[in-house]
Amino acid sequence: MPTSARPESEPVRLAFERDLAAAKTTDDLREIRVAYLGKKGALTSLLKSLGKLPDADRPAEGAVLNRLRYNMERALESKRASFQSAEEKSAEARDSVDVTLPGRGRPEGAFHPVAQTMYEIVGIMMGMGYSVALGPEIEDDYHNFESMNMPSWHPARDMQDTFYLPDDVPPDGKPSGDGKPSGDGKPSGDGKPRTLLRTHTSPVENRAMREWGAPLRIVSPGKVYRRDNDPTHSPMFNQIEGLLVEKDVSFSVLKGSMRELMNAFFGRPLKNRYRASYFPFTEPSMELDIECVVCGGADPQCRVCKGTGWLEVCGMGMTHPFVLRAGGIDPDEYNAFAFGMGLDRMAMLKYGINDLRYLFNGNVSYLLSGREAAI
Amino acid sequence: MIVSWRILEEFLTLPEKYAPEEVAERLTMAGAEVESIERRDISGVTVARIASLDRHPTKGHLFVAKLDTGLPEKRDAVCVTAATNLKAGDMVFYAAPGAVAAGLPELAVRDFDGVTSDGMMLSAEELGLPEIGLEEGILRLPGDAPIGAEAGVAYGIRDTLLNVSVTPNRGDLLSVLGMAREINGLFSGSDGLALKPMPWKTHEQAAKWPIDFGDISLPDPGCVNYHLGLAVGVNIAPSPLDVRIALTHMGMRPISNVVDATNYVMLVLGQPLHAFDLNTLPAREITVRTARDGERIMTLDGKERVMTDEDMLITSGGEPIAIAGVMGGDKTGIADDTKVVLLEGANFSAQRVGRTSRRLGLTSEAAFRYSRGVDPALAAMGIDYALHLMHLWGSADVSFIKRSAFNAVPAPAPIKLTKKKLQTYLLWSDMNESARILRGFGIEPAEPRSGDDAAFVPPTWRPDITIEEDLIEEIGRYRGYNDMPDLLPGEMPRRGDMGAPTLLASALRGTLISRGYTEVITYSFLPESFVQTLNLPSGDRRASLMRLLNPISQDWSVMRTTLVPGLLNGLRESVAAGRRGPVRMFEIGRAFFPSADGHIEEDHLAGLVCGGLDPRTPWKETVDDFLSVKSDLEAVVLSRGITPVFERSSEPFGHAGQTASVSIRSASGGSGDQQKIGFLARLSLALEREMDFPGAVYLFELDLSGLEAVVRPAYFPTPQFPASLRDISMFVPNRRGCGEVVRDIRAAVEAAGAGAGLLESVALFDVYAPSQDEKAGKSSIPAGFRSMAFTMSYRAPDRTLDDAEVDGIQNAAREALARKGYGLR
Repeated sequence: MPTSARPESEPVRLAFERDLAAAKTTDDLREIRVAYLGKKGALTSLLKSLGKLPDADRPAEGAVLNRLRYNMERALESKRASFQSAEEKSAEARDSVDVTLPGRGRPEGAFHPVAQTMYEIVGIMMGMGYSVALGPEIEDDYHNFESMNMPSWHPARDMQDTFYLPDDVPPDGKPSGDGKPSGDGKPSGDGKPRTLLRTHTSPVENRAMREWGAPLRIVSPGKVYRRDNDPTHSPMFNQIEGLLVEKDVSFSVLKGSMRELMNAFFGRPLKNRYRASYFPFTEPSMELDIECVVCGGADPQCRVCKGTGWLEVCGMGMTHPFVLRAGGIDPDEYNAFAFGMGLDRMAMLKYGINDLRYLFNGNVSYLLSGREAAI
Repeated sequence: MIVSWRILEEFLTLPEKYAPEEVAERLTMAGAEVESIERRDISGVTVARIASLDRHPTKGHLFVAKLDTGLPEKRDAVCVTAATNLKAGDMVFYAAPGAVAAGLPELAVRDFDGVTSDGMMLSAEELGLPEIGLEEGILRLPGDAPIGAEAGVAYGIRDTLLNVSVTPNRGDLLSVLGMAREINGLFSGSDGLALKPMPWKTHEQAAKWPIDFGDISLPDPGCVNYHLGLAVGVNIAPSPLDVRIALTHMGMRPISNVVDATNYVMLVLGQPLHAFDLNTLPAREITVRTARDGERIMTLDGKERVMTDEDMLITSGGEPIAIAGVMGGDKTGIADDTKVVLLEGANFSAQRVGRTSRRLGLTSEAAFRYSRGVDPALAAMGIDYALHLMHLWGSADVSFIKRSAFNAVPAPAPIKLTKKKLQTYLLWSDMNESARILRGFGIEPAEPRSGDDAAFVPPTWRPDITIEEDLIEEIGRYRGYNDMPDLLPGEMPRRGDMGAPTLLASALRGTLISRGYTEVITYSFLPESFVQTLNLPSGDRRASLMRLLNPISQDWSVMRTTLVPGLLNGLRESVAAGRRGPVRMFEIGRAFFPSADGHIEEDHLAGLVCGGLDPRTPWKETVDDFLSVKSDLEAVVLSRGITPVFERSSEPFGHAGQTASVSIRSASGGSGDQQKIGFLARLSLALEREMDFPGAVYLFELDLSGLEAVVRPAYFPTPQFPASLRDISMFVPNRRGCGEVVRDIRAAVEAAGAGAGLLESVALFDVYAPSQDEKAGKSSIPAGFRSMAFTMSYRAPDRTLDDAEVDGIQNAAREALARKGYGLR
């Protein structure tokens, strides 16, 4: 610190430095500021006395005192900043949180694997231009069977053991798209009631063709019902149906759609093969087998593919002209393909679930088991 | 359908290189899935003759048989047996030590109290074919059995059985003959395969029946053709051993020579036959006619069947003797003393048989085949084959010509195959190769041909082929689909759209999962008793049920009208599965209601929250209660841009003090027009107790139809002038709800004259109700009151409010509130 021109300033400076060195808190600093720089402070008094000096001495003396004031301000501020920083540091140390405590708030819930599978598949198919179409779960014989080329005598009906509801009221009271009443109180040709729980999502094909016409790309997910109950069959299960109606459609386009779907859904390229098969509503008909997603065909003891290396996942084919006509579409102008698969099976394959009974009993404990184990 | 490889080779020359595995793979890929290949193996078992049979010297219940085995390495063998059905001279199967057969334990030389037994004589069970036995004990062979012959070869025990899953369109594959034709077609173009001629000769036939018999009449056109064969001098007896073995291999029980002959023909040719005892027929004539409504027949399974005028009957003298193609009557079948057999080989309409069989719920091997289509040409062949077999087996004198009747059937029209469609479907169009492939399946070229296009006629055994697409499928499945390119669909006619209901469900599940709820799916069926369980009164919409006519069980007998029972069951399952912590779940699914003109399916969202056996958490804020669930439900509705309104309400199963209705303002109606969309309730204490739940259970259920459309939020510019804030703290009578208090505060400000339009918001920031203990002691809060504190924000759009002005309004409002019974603090 520069030496003052006037002897009075030097003791003030020395006293300030002594006091500053002794300060321990920001409160001490506040007191020092008042004592030296406040209205009646020691330095302030000196500055006030400048007016009594001769004019010639005043500038030089003033510069010395102002410089002293500036230095005091800086010293105080520097000390204050270091005190504040130290105090904040110690406050932070005091307020430390056990970061391994559980977060406050409820933990995330969990999706149902079948619903999740439905949204995943719908998402993949939407990327290829397929829209979601929905239909009633309580259907009528016409939409569920007749319009799908399964007349009352058809042996394929034997494979879809059906739940029936009384016929005294027509199912939706409105004529369906083709003008046929959906229920007229009379039994269907096999003596069964006309009102039933749909046995597959296929009746939505007819409804969508009637509603939107060609060209058309839809997927239709939903619950379906068959009168089965054993370890591998639930009386309620979930399917997703797909239908594409365009001009000059080749089976190759169905193959391409399936490849994209399977590879995207399972997250890796999978080998596949197409076996000829039969469905009343497609001609030709095929079934898609994909490489076993569990063992990849490497395990002859694999429980999932039973050692065959293949998993049957999807039935499909080129839509039968009868089905197109029933949907009001001219099969000479358009042709189509359709596919259908079990969402429950897809979910079980993807998420490694091996017992159907876990899917529909509402056991949250099971649905959360993997997540809670991971926390 | 089980195919015997041994019998298959009677119809098809198959070079060695076509192993069963390879044939099975080809069948599977081409549409007839081979589910298993079973090798029936047997070795070390030969035919032997019992040279002598004596009682065991010390063990009285055993016999010692000395066998002539005819085997060069061991001509004589001794077998000890406990069987009592043998005598010297009987022919038996002898299993030497080390022999292998399906039902045989490991076999070694064994000592029976001083007598050494060199292997054993076999029973039907030990052969692995219990159905072929005719008596208890050791299986006795015919007297002319060739001594020393290997059992596996001489009687067809060694065989390979393909278990094939046949699709409903391929009735022709329900026979060995059909499989032979299919395999021949699938391997056409390969060397060495050939169909063999039918394995029977039409033998000498007398021109005239030795009995009087009238006409066969077919007034019902559903009978395509009808043939009768006659066998006199019938001796009902077991079939020959190899036939019993073959039938057993193919999954049928041997019964007697006549019935076995019809079954064998059915399995091998695919033609169902029916045998009548001629002497039980009401008259010596057969008429196949349409049934009369209400006509009755007792079928051979002992059940009375009521006919409709869509059914077809075989009648004699006007009386029904069989349901055509489905099942025979109980009075006219084959009995042990049958002497004259009338054998029916007929072809019936697949639709008619299928409909009758389905309506009656009566399936039989015959109905199964007829409903899938039987080759009309087989009916007469079936008679010939069966008579041939009966002759061969010495079952009867069968040298009589069959009688036949026919209904006119239009000849199958040629089916066009266009090069364009073939190319479209398969991206391949070699018409010459196509013709070759089709011919392999018996599908012959026909006229008219034009340019690139051709026409074909399918064989009588392929009634499934009727349209061009069927021809393309034959070509496609022969060639296989795996080599076709994978292409993606072209230009999109429209974008892929998830549709409003699916999009809504997708958004809501995201909201609820992130708030700690787990998604469940429960059954759409419920037990009818849920109505009582939930105390639903008869006037409640949810008590009107749609009942299944044929439920699987009483637990799944009606369609759900609410998702609540499924969730309550889920809670039970979760706790039973060991969950101790909180249970939070939701389901989005349909509920079903009968209505005047049909029924209604509604998309519902329901949720359940229960603290569980151990609801403790470190944080007070995470405890589940009515208001925590309310905030979740608010989030659900607010996420659609809609503000929910909760009002005190009741539910039949709800807690009297903790039940609210949930409403939204109707989009169509006026501002005050509310639409109830559901409820939020704690389960009543009685139900919580009865169901033994581990704590309070909160439930909500919403009809989602009001939430499909998203209401877009509005945005307002940031205010130009500051707000003035005032707190107000009051004692509020307990029965006054928070909603009402806020309305009262607003009304008081509006009524304060100068305050109109200036109160921007009223927000509750504290509520305190003293506990029972505090009430008993001293509390500053009067009994019947609770303390509530709000912060009120005043703001004018065009100026800064001065303190005196706001104080004036606030004081006027306080006075008004005090007059309404609030205790101002």
